[in-house]
Amino acid sequence: MLENYLPILIFILVGLAVGGMMIMLGFILAPNRPDSEKLSPYECGFEAFEDARMKFDVRYYLVAILFIIFDLEIAFLFPWAIVLKEIGWFGFIAMSLFLGILVIGFIYEWKKGALEWE
Amino acid sequence: MGIEKIIFYVFAALSVYGALMVITVRNPVKAALYLVFTFFASAGVWILLEAEFLAIVLVLVYVGAVMVLFLFVVMMLDINLAQLRAGFVRYLPVGVAVAVAFAVMLIMLVGGDWFGGFAPPPPSPAEVSNTRELGRLLYTVYVYPFEIAAVILLVAIVAAIALTLRRRSGVKYQTPGQQIAVRRQDRIRMIDMPSEERK
Amino acid sequence: MMDWFVELWQAVPLGVQTVVIILLQIIAIVLPLMLCVAYLTYAERKVIGAMQIRMGPNRVGFFGHRLWGLGQPIADAVKLMFKEIVIPAGANRGLFLLAPVLSIGPALAAWAVVPFDAHLVLADIDAGLLYVLAVTSIGVYGVIIAGWASNSKYALLGAMRSGAQIVSYEIAMGFALVGVLMAGGSLNLGSIVRAQEGGVLHWFWIPLLPLFVIYFVSAVAETNRAPFDVAEGESEIVAGFHVEYSGMAFAVFFLAEYANMILVSGLTAIMFLGGWLSPLQGLLPESAFGVPVIGALLGDGIHWFIIKTAFFLFLFLWFRATFPRYRYDQIMRLGWKIFIPITIVWLLVVGVMILAGLPPWFDGA
Repeated sequence: MLENYLPILIFILVGLAVGGMMIMLGFILAPNRPDSEKLSPYECGFEAFEDARMKFDVRYYLVAILFIIFDLEIAFLFPWAIVLKEIGWFGFIAMSLFLGILVIGFIYEWKKGALEWE
Repeated sequence: MGIEKIIFYVFAALSVYGALMVITVRNPVKAALYLVFTFFASAGVWILLEAEFLAIVLVLVYVGAVMVLFLFVVMMLDINLAQLRAGFVRYLPVGVAVAVAFAVMLIMLVGGDWFGGFAPPPPSPAEVSNTRELGRLLYTVYVYPFEIAAVILLVAIVAAIALTLRRRSGVKYQTPGQQIAVRRQDRIRMIDMPSEERK
Repeated sequence: MMDWFVELWQAVPLGVQTVVIILLQIIAIVLPLMLCVAYLTYAERKVIGAMQIRMGPNRVGFFGHRLWGLGQPIADAVKLMFKEIVIPAGANRGLFLLAPVLSIGPALAAWAVVPFDAHLVLADIDAGLLYVLAVTSIGVYGVIIAGWASNSKYALLGAMRSGAQIVSYEIAMGFALVGVLMAGGSLNLGSIVRAQEGGVLHWFWIPLLPLFVIYFVSAVAETNRAPFDVAEGESEIVAGFHVEYSGMAFAVFFLAEYANMILVSGLTAIMFLGGWLSPLQGLLPESAFGVPVIGALLGDGIHWFIIKTAFFLFLFLWFRATFPRYRYDQIMRLGWKIFIPITIVWLLVVGVMILAGLPPWFDGA
């Protein structure tokens, strides 16, 4: 099994290296003549008057939490999906119950308006 | 020393380095990214243990989801570093106590005669899929804890919504159902009227 | 000369030999992929040009011949190479340069487990599909870090929008993948293709039709392509998260976006349209596949995989030319309120189909 993961390790390193090398190439070949106007952040012609890192709507945070929960749910579904034929109706009902409980949460979320985006 | 051992030590060293950087680096965004790096290195170690399903799920759930949330939070909150550092000395005793307790537990669990004391289990034959093995057990033998996991996730959904959802008043929503249901005669009225005379 | 090479090769230790072979295989995947990306940009401009009754690029050719503008992507690449990489004054230098690398790394690394035909796959790991899902979920970091490190309002807005959008559609995508796993009974991409053997009616697009549509639409949203491109929205937030990037740093983001498009198109072909399998299987008599050259073309092979992938890539371009951009609340509504309920219901339907052994897809062992 491990010998199959060696190409993957190398591929990940190559993938990162390709990106790194291309940027390096850009630095080597391209001119570098900075001035204060060029380096100022883009702001539709205005002077940037404050730090751009501002506070954000808490809604983004909620989306991220709900995403974690559903992602976990998917992680639970993966092993179930490939052995479904072996575990048969018992496994199917076990998963229906699991999904059923989570659908309650999903309905709550929906009714509370957590999915509305204004 | 085989190539596997070399790779193991590389990954182990990288995860220790990453973990150290998480607690020493000043910028919270960088700390979060080092934590991502640590998860990656640990996933590498897990793969060497032939726990491929767990290793990839570690990346999928922790790197792909949990750390995205962390990044959102540290980016959004505008954390004031000076304020954080002010409390450092006050919380230090508690932190040290927790760390010592943790270390003692770890040593009791894996320490002493466990270090180098036993032979590694024989590598499983290539055709055994550990995702499949996990599936066979999880939904049959361990079905009860599995359903409890669903309940815990349900609690998490409800708690997250209860804690963070704030309704703003005066916001107008769209109701797509109503929008689609609109017919021409609801919106347009044809009026028959004589044209005005030119003066 | 030849002998000298053989001798040199034999002198190399065995471990290094393996690594060198793997590296050569990786290059054999990455180089054609890069070429495809370059010509995908050309195809995009030509196709959309044709749809809008324009010519598209038609000037830059090779050696004094215009050749329908075939030299355009090469010229673009060379131009970007010689453009200055501007790093904004308020930016976080290290993270600013790390972001494009983090977005192209996963886009390339996911190709490690893609089977091009029955034998041509670099890493035939058992958890192939899980690996693809995990690796592509890392791509979101490039976007978020780029937006934050630029220290520019538009970049941060674009990154936040894009981040929330990508994670929302990842759920629908994950559920759709679970349906494929159930039907294929394996996480290995090669086995999933083999489970679809028997001609066009045996492929999974029929029993999994809702998941097929949802997967592809989510893939469009996931790659931030039109009509889901609010993260870039040129007319509202001026290119979003990569507004501050220029030169090669921008080119890397661009490459990653197109490499991801090719990746999801290829995955859709593998999971729902039988990858390298020939659609004519079962329609033509067995003897037809025995004819020397024509038989090979009609039978299974990498060319079918490429044709199917190209079809989905064409859909990407077609969407861009046809649909107006979604508004952000509409995007979130589609992802959460429409796709997720449909996928959950369809998973249960697929479960019943499998346990009932519905032919011709699920009656096998």
